[in-house]
Amino acid sequence: MFELICNILLWLGLLYAYFFNVLEAPIPDRTARNPYTLKPDVWPKAIIILLLICIAVNIINIIRKNRNNPEFHLDALMCIRSRLVIGIALVVAASFILEPLGYMATCCLVLFFYGLLLGQTHVIRLAIFSVLVTIVLYVVFSVLLSVNLPRGTIPELRNFSLYVESIVASAKSAIGM
Amino acid sequence: MSTWELFTSGFSVLMDPYTFLMVVFAIVVGTIFGALPGVSATMAVALGLPFTYSMAPVPAIVFLVAVYCSSITGGSITAILFKIPGVPSSAPTTFDGYPMAQRGEAGKALGIALGSSAIGGLVSALAMLTLSPQLTQAALSFSPSDIFAITFMGLSILTCLDSKNILRTLISGLLGLLLACVGQDPMYAVQRLTFGSGELIAGLEMIPVLIGIFAVTEVLKQTKKRETFKGEEGTASVNTKMPSFKEWWGIKWLLARCSVIGTVIGILPGAGATIASFLCYSTETKLSKHPEKFGTGIIDGVAASETANNAATGGAMVPLLSLGIPGGNAAAVMMSALVLKGVQLGPLLLVNQPEYLSATFASMVITNILMVVVAIGIAKVFAQILAVPYSYLGPIIIMLAIIGAYATNMSIADVKIMAIAGVIGLIISACHFNSAALILGLVLGVICEGNFSRAYTINRADVIGMFSRPVAGSLMVISILLLVWPVVSSLFKKKEA
Repeated sequence: MFELICNILLWLGLLYAYFFNVLEAPIPDRTARNPYTLKPDVWPKAIIILLLICIAVNIINIIRKNRNNPEFHLDALMCIRSRLVIGIALVVAASFILEPLGYMATCCLVLFFYGLLLGQTHVIRLAIFSVLVTIVLYVVFSVLLSVNLPRGTIPELRNFSLYVESIVASAKSAIGM
Repeated sequence: MSTWELFTSGFSVLMDPYTFLMVVFAIVVGTIFGALPGVSATMAVALGLPFTYSMAPVPAIVFLVAVYCSSITGGSITAILFKIPGVPSSAPTTFDGYPMAQRGEAGKALGIALGSSAIGGLVSALAMLTLSPQLTQAALSFSPSDIFAITFMGLSILTCLDSKNILRTLISGLLGLLLACVGQDPMYAVQRLTFGSGELIAGLEMIPVLIGIFAVTEVLKQTKKRETFKGEEGTASVNTKMPSFKEWWGIKWLLARCSVIGTVIGILPGAGATIASFLCYSTETKLSKHPEKFGTGIIDGVAASETANNAATGGAMVPLLSLGIPGGNAAAVMMSALVLKGVQLGPLLLVNQPEYLSATFASMVITNILMVVVAIGIAKVFAQILAVPYSYLGPIIIMLAIIGAYATNMSIADVKIMAIAGVIGLIISACHFNSAALILGLVLGVICEGNFSRAYTINRADVIGMFSRPVAGSLMVISILLLVWPVVSSLFKKKEA
């Protein structure tokens, strides 16, 4: 049932995109008048038409296969309660909190809560592990590879990141890096 | 200067202990950079640039070439162990490398990846030294319709990736092609399919999507598997047993084919290692007696992808040295470093400064040989990580994915794209679509559309005329036959049954 719903939603989404989103800006006059250029909407529209046909056939196949299947239903409550949904929520949340909280807080939180989600029962060990891995990844990417990891927009967290960066900078200058 | 003189003078450069040590250092650095998600080969070369500021021009190019070659190889380590392609060209390596690692054959997969990388790199280095001017001229005579035909041939794998699910695989490939259209169109920069999001105007960045679909989806799948699990466990037993000679002998023709194809694709401007690895993977799937085994964890899949992407590194150096045209982004970074040093790249390089060609060749040869030893050591350290309980390893993979997506452009939007790609990858898996086909469409889509549009305009809207050139015409016929054959053969089988 989940597969059927996804296919129907995809089909409807593509139909919507075909009419409203293939082109989001007018084609320049010179291009529109030139008969020898491929208009910017031709390629995506051709792909969408092929997709609409293929997905329609796929939907018919799914319905045909499951016509007499008594287990062909969606247990919505089971889906919502599952650990997978929490995992998805954590990953998506991490991508959104990275900007306000910055790298350090996000990394600690993700490592700790995802560890719990994956069945880790030693909370203190997990907390220490989260802090240590945060430091190791910071050293590898920020100190050694000079990747400017996000500092965060919340003042306290941003100030903490700046404080760590100043320590790293003085340590670097002390060893002549 | 004769080929033999070029050959000997190149190695005499590397006899200098300082240069040799720099090559070893470059291999270690390049392999580790390549293995880290989000650090592409281009970024690895760029990160290596500061080391060359105080070097003479010849050791500088030797160093950068070593970083470039080893970073491409390093990308296979995390692709095999964690399903995170370190560099985009390692994406096809995950198809077979990761299932092998899951079966406890991580050592064999890594051995095949490193060995075939070395073979691909050596063949392309030899081609660079002996056939540089001829190969460049041949590659430059390729028209947009020829390049379109080559990429279309790569897409012809779609009906073959999963012979039991041709329709769903086709849908996945088409979805990938559609995702490649997001952003500005390649000819006139008209905005398409961005749904009003400013972050999508530049199109979908490849690395966040790859990391999301491969790494994040895999962690989410493992999360579902551990629904009822409590406590600790290691993910897989780590067997570091290397492949046998018999296994190497069994793939000798595959290695030869992929080395040649990879070198030629590497020379084509705008193509590069990613296209080479996908194209070789698809070609080998088509040529195999057991195409259904590709994607289940066989050495052929790992070898095809890794031979090709390393062969492309030598290919990319050909137009750079003989014409001064960088074949890809990493070559462009190297070009800027050499120009800073006063090197005149182009047709006169072989006449005025032949030591650069010979040093590049020698560096590639030494790098590809030493890389096997160095990378095996690094890979064995990485392989031990597989024994870490998944409740620790899973969150680290998520964090590496986040940093990897962010580090590509220092963009939070890329992290969001990565997270969404992870969820989409999960839905694709639940709907029995094929994520490999989606990535194939996404990677080849941009090149396919761009070259089709150019060929269409050059041929004044004459589609038949576009494919009247011998290369384009013959490749298109072969591609269509390859695309249709699995469908026709399955229909015949159904009738017979």
